[in-house]
Amino acid sequence: MIKKRKIPDAEIPTASQADLAFLLLLFFLVSTVIDVDTGLGLTLPEYVPPDEQIEVKVDPTRMAAVLVNENGEVLIDGNIVPVFKIKDLLKPRIESKISLPLNKKMIVSLKTDRKTVYNIYIAALDQIKQAFFEVRDEYSNGKFGKKFNDLNQEQQEDVKDAVPIIISLAEPESIKK
Amino acid sequence: MTFEKRRAKTKQEIPTTSMPDIVFMLLMFFMCVTTMREVDVLVQFKLPEAKAIEKIENKRLVSYIWVGKDRKIQINDSLVDLGKVEELMYLKRKALPEVIVSLRSDQSVDMGLITDIQQALRKAYCLRINYSAMIKV
Repeated sequence: MIKKRKIPDAEIPTASQADLAFLLLLFFLVSTVIDVDTGLGLTLPEYVPPDEQIEVKVDPTRMAAVLVNENGEVLIDGNIVPVFKIKDLLKPRIESKISLPLNKKMIVSLKTDRKTVYNIYIAALDQIKQAFFEVRDEYSNGKFGKKFNDLNQEQQEDVKDAVPIIISLAEPESIKK
Repeated sequence: MTFEKRRAKTKQEIPTTSMPDIVFMLLMFFMCVTTMREVDVLVQFKLPEAKAIEKIENKRLVSYIWVGKDRKIQINDSLVDLGKVEELMYLKRKALPEVIVSLRSDQSVDMGLITDIQQALRKAYCLRINYSAMIKV
């Protein structure tokens, strides 16, 4: 008589699997940084050597010169204004140029002193961008009944054509003595 | 007369057999989302705050320049001189033409240094930049 040998159970114990998975999960939970890069986007102009620079005359009515000095005082077209007023001052001027062709749209030029603090520069740039964004939102609200961010690609392009963001960074000047 | 405790006849246990699966699913999510910190930041900085903020959609395109409050500049893993910025950024642009430079600068730095960096970036033809800022509430 042949004794049937009992086949031993070949099972991996799975009771602790959950614990293991939890351990891994905890590790990833702790090490995860979901930080999205946020900031103010800008496209710099191409570099042109100083002797090749050409001065282009721009119609002064389409130009808003924002100057920030070393004390953080802001000058728009010759008038001293607080930083948080920049937006309100620029908005009507941008709006008045919506229906004009691209070569007549508003240009905002931002110029700072070398000793200006970065924080104030960002605050001023933020105000200028806000002015453009709010005009965009209002324009798209009037035309499509939605905010700019909720529009589809085509409509966004349409609004971008109507309200292009043109921010010009002034060419740094060499220090005069 | 005997009182019987009323008890539901159904089992009162939460089935735990599928718990590992659920945990693994969560695990997978976090594994996908995690980006390990690649560089050690060697400078101290506090970002400025702004409202008109945009997100950078494509993280692969981003290349950072840190500027600390002691005016130190860091690119990649090491502190660099201002004169080296152009060369380094040119190499980056060569490797990745549509690179977006994220400028993570301390809020108390003076604009002279920022302008110098910007000029170097313009010479290196890295024209898309992003001033990193926190959302102001």
